[in-house]
Amino acid sequence: MARWAACLVRRFPIPKVSIVMFGLIGHSTSLDDARSKAASLGFPEYAEGDFEMWCVAPPQLVETVEVTSRTGQVIKGAYIDSVFVPEMLSRFKTAKRKVLSAMELAQKHGIAITALGGFTSIIFENLNLLKEQQIRSTRLEWERFTTGNTHTAWVIAQQVVHNAPRLGIDLARAKVAVVGATGDIGSAVCHWLQRQGVGELLLVARRPQPLLDLQAELGSGRVLELNEALAEADVVVWVASLPQSLSIDADLLPRPCLMIDGGYPKNLDSRFSGDGIQVIKGGIVEFWQDLGWQMMEMADMANPRRQLFACFAEAMLLEFEGIHTNFSWGRNNISLANMDLIGEASLRHGFRALALDSVQPGTLVPA
Amino acid sequence: MAVSLSDLSPNPAASIGLASGGGSPAEADLPDFSSEGYKDAYSRINAIVIEGEQEAHDNYLSLATLLPDQAEELARLARMEMKHKKGFTACAANLGVVADMPFARAFFTPLRDNFQQALAEGKLVTCLLIQSILIEAFAIAAYHIYIPVADPFARKITEGVVQDEYTHLNYGQEWLKANLEASRLELEEANRANLPHVRRMLEQVADDAGVLQMDQEDLMADFMTSYQEVLIEIGFTSREIARMATAALLG
Repeated sequence: MARWAACLVRRFPIPKVSIVMFGLIGHSTSLDDARSKAASLGFPEYAEGDFEMWCVAPPQLVETVEVTSRTGQVIKGAYIDSVFVPEMLSRFKTAKRKVLSAMELAQKHGIAITALGGFTSIIFENLNLLKEQQIRSTRLEWERFTTGNTHTAWVIAQQVVHNAPRLGIDLARAKVAVVGATGDIGSAVCHWLQRQGVGELLLVARRPQPLLDLQAELGSGRVLELNEALAEADVVVWVASLPQSLSIDADLLPRPCLMIDGGYPKNLDSRFSGDGIQVIKGGIVEFWQDLGWQMMEMADMANPRRQLFACFAEAMLLEFEGIHTNFSWGRNNISLANMDLIGEASLRHGFRALALDSVQPGTLVPA
Repeated sequence: MAVSLSDLSPNPAASIGLASGGGSPAEADLPDFSSEGYKDAYSRINAIVIEGEQEAHDNYLSLATLLPDQAEELARLARMEMKHKKGFTACAANLGVVADMPFARAFFTPLRDNFQQALAEGKLVTCLLIQSILIEAFAIAAYHIYIPVADPFARKITEGVVQDEYTHLNYGQEWLKANLEASRLELEEANRANLPHVRRMLEQVADDAGVLQMDQEDLMADFMTSYQEVLIEIGFTSREIARMATAALLG
């Protein structure tokens, strides 16, 4: 090789060609969980590391997985742990760095489409990381990433439609409260349910103006305070996180009542479940066969070999379908057409929304 | 998956402790480059950079004695380091700062001594790890964190330098990758002996770096990322890397 050419190669190393084509960025639910997971995966130094060490530790590509669609199509993917834990939320520089570094790692591995899981997309949105496209020597290519919100919204809508009748709730007459209605997922769910036809949408969110805008877009729906909405709702779709300090009187709710817990973290069933109120973990899907991975055990899934976040499944679906673009991106960009598209793909490739008859937490010990 | 935190509670981001707003260094108020406090801190940080580039120059020429067939390439790398040194010297002059070179000489003593000892013993792998991996990764991390908070003159110079440093990191990486099995034991031993020095060096400059708005945790994290990337390229597994990299953090 000519010397000048050798210099060029050194200066601009050729990116590694990778067979991993979809990616999932996730994290542990707490530092303690992260430590015990590190021990089980053979990282004893991380298991013994203190919080400060975890703050500076780089993201890790911890697992690769092969996924076979019900159609027989096989794709490959990787799970990247951002080495973020929720305890870091109070250190926003750390949280920001964790998310961007995990995205950088996915891109450097040449992964075509990666879903941002758990708090990752929340941090991305809240800290406005769209302005932080340059990370070290890498310019992040947004088209390689998806929030997965389109599939999550579709799955939540399915959970409403298929489970309400099982509780004897007639959706055509039911009042459906959407808490967090103006968010990315919430507004998509509202539009989908309106097209589907429900008795009435009860719109709940913090800020009044976006609520009024949403109501105008929908041409229907009633704007209510949270407690007012709960007192009338046959179905409650939670797509906002429930602050620990928020006190809600479960006695307010009509019976029967279906609650879809689409927030993150999922903590509604401890407050509401029982006595005529059924809570389903929202935005969770089951695959048609076991996935050969360990990572969902970290996410506290009842059946971690088959259950996963719908946002992760979206990355798989986009890879199955050859749609290498940031399918879900930004805020309030989810169209009904894209929900239909991803929903059809979801069914075709063997996913189904977690339902009342699915295995619920505590009834199955992970294999 | 995402849910909006801003949809429900009066201050939902705060309810989980997540600060709102970007707060990116690029947007934050830049330091007052003309203040005495800034200049004082800069006199040490800048001296470290100048001394680092000088030592890198000397080390690449020394490496040529162990790799005579690559003398020409190593001389080219050495010349780049001298060019960087001139650039950073100009940065100090631009701010009217006199670099504190005695401080910087002392700062590099542990790594310099280890390099010189390895050189005397003909331990090429150790020399490459110290200069071409550890010091270059340290420099790249520092430059990455510095660029967004640098004065305009220094930012332009540093942006040019950081690209060159990747070339240098790549040099050591490619050699060690090609010779991994023969180098593995010495590499692990050299890592154990030298990585803790890097951590201590980062701690030693934390206060001055803080005045320049360079966050110590960012520095350490960026260094760990660069170091991990190099070790992956060289051929170590992620478990081996976790063991090696945490030598700095726990050692």
